[in-house]
Amino acid sequence: MRYFCFMIIVVILSITVPVSAGYRELFEKEFLSKPWSSEILEESACVECHTSEAMPVELRSIPQEWQLSWHYQNDVSCHDCHGGDSTDATMSMSHKRGFTGTPKYTEVPEQCGKCHIGILEHYIESGHGKALKETGDGPNCVTCHGAHNIQQVSIDIINAQRCSKCHSYDRAKMMKQALFLTDEKIEKIDEDLKQLRSKGVYPEKEEKRLFDTQAKFRTLFHSIDVARVKSETDFYTEQLDSIEADVQKTYDQLAFRRKFSTFLMLIFAGSWIVASYISKSYKD
Amino acid sequence: MWQKIREGLNLRIGLTDLVDSSLKEHRVPSDTNIFYTIGIVTLVAYFIMAVTGYFLLMYYVPHTDHAFSSVQNIMTNISFGWLIRMIHIVASNLMVALVFIHLISIFFMGNYKKPREITWLAGGLLLLVTLLFCLSGYLLPWSQRSYWATTIVTNIPTAFPVVGEYLANVLKGGEAISGVTLTRFFSLHVGFLPPVFMAIVGLHIFLVWRIGLSVPPFSKSAEEEKPWTEYSHTTYAESYPFYPHFFMKEVSMVMLLFAIIFFIISFFPTMFIPEAANTPADPFKTPADIKPEWYFLAPYQMMKLIPNKFFGISIQVIAIFTFLFWPFFDTGDEKNIIKRPALMGAFIILLSVWFALTFWGRYS
Ligand code: HEC
Ligand code: HEC
Ligand code: HEC
Ligand code: HEC
Ligand code: HEC
Ligand code: HEM
Repeated sequence: MRYFCFMIIVVILSITVPVSAGYRELFEKEFLSKPWSSEILEESACVECHTSEAMPVELRSIPQEWQLSWHYQNDVSCHDCHGGDSTDATMSMSHKRGFTGTPKYTEVPEQCGKCHIGILEHYIESGHGKALKETGDGPNCVTCHGAHNIQQVSIDIINAQRCSKCHSYDRAKMMKQALFLTDEKIEKIDEDLKQLRSKGVYPEKEEKRLFDTQAKFRTLFHSIDVARVKSETDFYTEQLDSIEADVQKTYDQLAFRRKFSTFLMLIFAGSWIVASYISKSYKD
Repeated sequence: MWQKIREGLNLRIGLTDLVDSSLKEHRVPSDTNIFYTIGIVTLVAYFIMAVTGYFLLMYYVPHTDHAFSSVQNIMTNISFGWLIRMIHIVASNLMVALVFIHLISIFFMGNYKKPREITWLAGGLLLLVTLLFCLSGYLLPWSQRSYWATTIVTNIPTAFPVVGEYLANVLKGGEAISGVTLTRFFSLHVGFLPPVFMAIVGLHIFLVWRIGLSVPPFSKSAEEEKPWTEYSHTTYAESYPFYPHFFMKEVSMVMLLFAIIFFIISFFPTMFIPEAANTPADPFKTPADIKPEWYFLAPYQMMKLIPNKFFGISIQVIAIFTFLFWPFFDTGDEKNIIKRPALMGAFIILLSVWFALTFWGRYS
């Protein structure tokens, strides 16, 4: 009986294995490559064609740069900036489908400002914005952030190399000093929140508050008005302090949890020792 | 006071007599080892799961929009919700580990042999039910990790030609993991599996009780064992009463289990909840490094390595059946594995392959 079952299994296997061999590719596609071993790119006709041989070499690296960017991580794709239709390869760059092409140097702020509205407002009123509009030699968004490989910002964007191209670095330096303390606080809280996440907490509320505060504060820079930054700093410090206090509470809570469960652990470890001692003390 | 209650119960249900006849007179061989307590410890782990699970159920909402936030609510706002959830998570992993230890020790001591084949079969089913518990519970927090790890595991059936796709879709309730999958897994986890588990565990323990614990094959009294020709409760050369002798041993091991649970919660709280478990599920974003839980790593890695997937899944299905019905294949009288070098070798190779695949899967 046993051997009979065994033989049946062997027969079934030896028939079906070759039969299903062609199934392999299909399966590998479905099972190994699709959902987890590589990232699912939202299929975009722009990306597909712009990485292909049809592209002039000097432009071919753009999709790669973009894939490293923070925009990529937040699902901001080619057509969000350039317009056009990312689902239809033949018509994608048609102006009928809203394609706007490469923005001119002076048009860039409007393009980015579609989404970064507050920043655009500050920027237009600023010395930089006015200079761009009037003479065309103010810096635009791309000068400081790049176009495709845009990363999360830090205060290090203000550096001697970038900011002394058009004027002396002194002005930039004063700005940096005015931003410095608040910026540092933002970074610290951000770091703390990341830590909390790795400790198994999901500090959603605090993360959102920090995001809002930081977005507002970092918008302020674009006015390049040192006096204004200084006068509004107090307001932001207060906001950040309150977030920091909440974060601290969470840390205290974690410390309490550890103590509490260590206490339980000791109780049970004690019971274990007592119980095993009692069990050994029984004589038959 | 105690005396009164006891007398009252004695009068009505004959308590002392019951305890004497069913607990004190129940004998346990005196050369049992520590592994003989693992079964009870596993059972207690199950009850820990049931009790903590019941409390989680009060606040958990099985809906894709609320599942993640309701779990976070338990962790942050509900008083001692964190403790309940942490115990549930840690105990679930320990329970799987315990089932494995129980199984391996029983296999190693040959205790599945006549007359304990059905006990083994019921136990094997319990292992499968335990793994189903883990699989279904894993999705419930609706985090990035639970979403994608479940995607991986539920894709394994697609290895079957023709019916595979269908099987996987039945499991998921559609092409992809969705709200339907969540409600399916939820009802499986809290509605279907617990009574099934209780029924099988009832049979399992009834059989152990009825047949009597086995004697380890390495002990002196094992050599005196006669072949099993007709039913009688197992007799032992040397034995002691179940209660309080063996019972106290079990109590001490259960205390150790609790101590280990709280040790992990205190000092390695994130052992089983990495960062991806703190991020809400996002079907459009595959996390970089997602893996199934440690107990599914070996089969997962094996599926990745074997080029013909149907072959891979067949090996696994055959392995499961061989495992379940092993006592019916291995019917010889020799219990002592040390006197059976071939089986011993196969057993060691199997274990090392399992460990190797697990580590490979973990670090690849
Ligand atoms: C079928 C291939 C193809 C597709 C699809 C495609 N492009 Fe292009 N695109 C090109 C080629 C080729 C060039 C280079 C033209 C040149 O400079 O000679 C180009 C140039 C561009 C330029 C710079 C030139 C200009 O007109 O200002 C932009 C911006 C651009 N593409 C954006 C997009 C966007 C956005 C999409 C998707 C909505 C897209 N493309 C889809 C082939 C494609
Ligand atoms: C955040 C908005 C943004 C996104 C997203 C974006 N671009 Fe651009 N792109 C720009 C801007 C701004 C310029 C003008 C750059 C400059 O002045 O250097 C530009 C320029 C270009 C050019 C012309 C470059 C040249 O040197 O002529 C091409 C081609 C192009 N983009 C293609 C793409 C493709 C393909 C994608 C998607 C992978 C993409 N862009 C995504 C903002 C964007
Ligand atoms: C389709 C809307 C959209 C457009 C157009 C757009 N962005 Fe963004 N941008 C986003 C989103 C969404 C984020 C991510 C949310 C965030 O971090 O603020 C982001 C983030 C950023 C960040 C990082 C902010 C941080 O958190 O540190 C910078 C810098 C940035 N964008 C610059 C630009 C520039 C420069 C342009 C124009 C070339 C541009 N964006 C165009 C939507 C857009
Ligand atoms: C493309 C050229 C250019 C670059 C690069 C540039 N600036 Fe300017 N900046 C200007 C112009 C033009 C003005 C306005 C005219 C003036 O006051 O000289 C200005 C003015 C300023 C002012 C004074 C504004 C006021 O109202 O008093 C500050 C502060 C400043 N820039 C900071 C920076 C910083 C910080 C950087 C580097 C991140 C930087 N700039 C990079 C062109 C540039
Ligand atoms: C002179 C250089 C410069 C120019 C021009 C500039 N930025 Fe910035 N941007 C910065 C610096 C520096 C920061 C960081 C400020 C800080 O850390 O407080 C920043 C921060 C940001 C942020 C991050 C805000 C957040 O949510 O954290 C965004 C988005 C952004 N810029 C978009 C733009 C856009 C859009 C434009 C064009 C309208 C633009 N920037 C023009 C230098 C510049
Ligand atoms: C949820 C999981 C399980 C629970 C709660 C459980 C519980 C128990 C208990 C309480 C005992 C008696 C004491 C002992 O020997 O430890 C026992 C014995 C036994 N179990 Fe399990 N068990 C489980 C899983 C398994 C599995 C997976 C197998 C093997 C496939 C198995 C096979 C056996 C056998 C053969 C015995 C008899 C041992 C003997 O008489 O010495 N059990 N089980």
